[in-house]
Amino acid sequence: MMLPALIRKEFLALIRDPHGLVALFLMPVAFIVIMSLALKDYYNPQTRSLPYALLDLDHGAQAQTLAEQWQADHGVPRQVPEEWRPALLAGQVRYVLTIEPGFSDAIASPATPPGIKVRLLADPGLEHALFRGTEAELAAAVGELRANAIQERFMGMVGKGANAIRNLVSAERVATRVRPTAVQQNVPAWLVFGMFFVVTAIASLFVQEARDGTLTRLQAIGVPRRIQILAKALPYLGVNAVQAALMLAVGVWLMPRVGGEALQLAGIDWVALLLMLATISFAAIGFALAIACLVRTHAQASALGATCNLLMAAIGGIMVPTFVMPVAMQAAAHWSPMNWALEGLLQVLLRSGDTLAVLPYAARLGGFAVLMWLAATLLFRRRMK
Amino acid sequence: MLTISELSFQYPGAPQAALNGVSLTVRRGRVLGLLGPNGAGKTTLISHLAGLLAVQHGSILLDGQPIAQARAERPTRITLAPQEYAFYPMLTVAENLACFAAACRLKGNTLRERIAACIAFTQLERFAKTRAEHLSGGLKRRLNLAIALLPEPELILLDEPTVGVDPQSRAFLLDAVRALAQAGTTVLYTSHYIEEIETIADDVAILDNGRVLRAAALPELLAEGGAQMALRIDGPLDAALGLLGNFGHAQAGHEGEILVSLNPDSSPASVLQAIATAGATLHMARYGSHDLERLFMRLTHRALRDE
Repeated sequence: MMLPALIRKEFLALIRDPHGLVALFLMPVAFIVIMSLALKDYYNPQTRSLPYALLDLDHGAQAQTLAEQWQADHGVPRQVPEEWRPALLAGQVRYVLTIEPGFSDAIASPATPPGIKVRLLADPGLEHALFRGTEAELAAAVGELRANAIQERFMGMVGKGANAIRNLVSAERVATRVRPTAVQQNVPAWLVFGMFFVVTAIASLFVQEARDGTLTRLQAIGVPRRIQILAKALPYLGVNAVQAALMLAVGVWLMPRVGGEALQLAGIDWVALLLMLATISFAAIGFALAIACLVRTHAQASALGATCNLLMAAIGGIMVPTFVMPVAMQAAAHWSPMNWALEGLLQVLLRSGDTLAVLPYAARLGGFAVLMWLAATLLFRRRMK
Repeated sequence: MLTISELSFQYPGAPQAALNGVSLTVRRGRVLGLLGPNGAGKTTLISHLAGLLAVQHGSILLDGQPIAQARAERPTRITLAPQEYAFYPMLTVAENLACFAAACRLKGNTLRERIAACIAFTQLERFAKTRAEHLSGGLKRRLNLAIALLPEPELILLDEPTVGVDPQSRAFLLDAVRALAQAGTTVLYTSHYIEEIETIADDVAILDNGRVLRAAALPELLAEGGAQMALRIDGPLDAALGLLGNFGHAQAGHEGEILVSLNPDSSPASVLQAIATAGATLHMARYGSHDLERLFMRLTHRALRDE
């Protein structure tokens, strides 16, 4: 009776605290929506829909062919004045392609090209990956033109060179049932962040109850310390479970409705997913309890809880994916429990990993959880003495 | 009922003991008023009784049994109503009582009956569905008391139970404490409002610097001043002391007062007569029982304690 009554009290207090509910549930949802939409193009670069201008200063046959091919792949170019720089710097076009005089002759000539004949001039704000992608496409298109011209000249084969070159190269992402998208990356990332966000809520609750004297009162009537800790922890396991269901639902149903891509759950290993969610929850709540038993004031609870969360998230690849970090930072990321949580979830959601695949991450999180729960128990005992 | 013997306690790292050889007896069904300035050791003593601190030196016996053992067998024989509003502000009055009743290991009908009884005793019926955070100061104090009464304790510790309440609520709470004692509950009551202690206490203990300065039944303490006279008269102090010394031991008190402990053969009337004969002007004369505040101030002195 004692434990259920104290758990019921936690639930009642929680559902009557709108600010707490917003922080626990709406904040991670907002992060998922905003970050998935913001990073949508990062995972699927839209090089073919960028507004551009094309200046043909050559007017030869090869230049015309290049312009037609580029237009077929990238849409109709925008019209810009001869002095195109203001338009580029104003963002009216993202890049300008200039075909210099002598381009057609250089393409058809077997000799080494005499100098630069095509220029890609990009908006300084154009993302690096998009710039490199466009540059590679341009080099490939010019290469095809030159291959065609040389084949035609020496072998009499017209129009087959390009196909022959494309037959040499193939590129694909291997062996997963799901396609990497911003949603597929961001849902697990912000789910982990949201689950760890219980730190601030639990720490503030402890401070409040210590100040109110309710912890003292419970101790005075002989409520065991383990019951007091469990009464705080169990409701937040429930909170974490609701957060997880909510975040996955947002990924599956909300994101497609707001312009993102849907989270793909078909074919994933649900046991592996549940194992990861359970260990993340134990780790997050253990960490929250340890912080809660450590702090003495609301200011400490807010500052320490939020700072630890943000640091673990920043280092752990929640805010910035680890693969864009420098090598040293990537090594540091492996020390963040949020990184273990994220990598475990990505194993399931992105790489079709099974229980065995997530076991190393779950084990690390489990070890962290045990340490934190022990620390919380010791700190709580010391505090109540 | 409760016997405290030579209880001493020092907090880790503290330069001096918070309790220093405290001995005290609390009798069943009586109200013991515990008085003391800030830092006297009241909270430390209460924390021992509430099971929040373990005994370092000395002993506390509850009906002859060490308190730790007694609390282990039934933790709710002694309950505490702390000075803070020790309940959950987001819960209603009824929800708070239900939560703490379950925490006190009450179940089923007993739980429901005790909640109803405590709500009735503290007259909180109209507010049972009101969230605690929306209650007035007086109602919060009543809820604090109601929670402490849930397990029907034999001894209830009330730590400053009337802080921040209006006169009506204070009167209600004092009546409630009296009613509890009459019903057989032992009450240990601490307050800085000495007149409250004087109103409701059967016994009084005055604590300072971790020691019990005086502990006795309230009438006994007040009667101690029976043979003492306090006077304020014109003229040089030495002359006055010389004159009054003929009637007993005379000494200078506070604010120009002269205190005279009368000899058995001296009467207040003879003192007044002597002053009149000497031609001195009498501004004030007091004879009879102490009031508790004067006794408290005399024992604990006037130096400020928070500085």
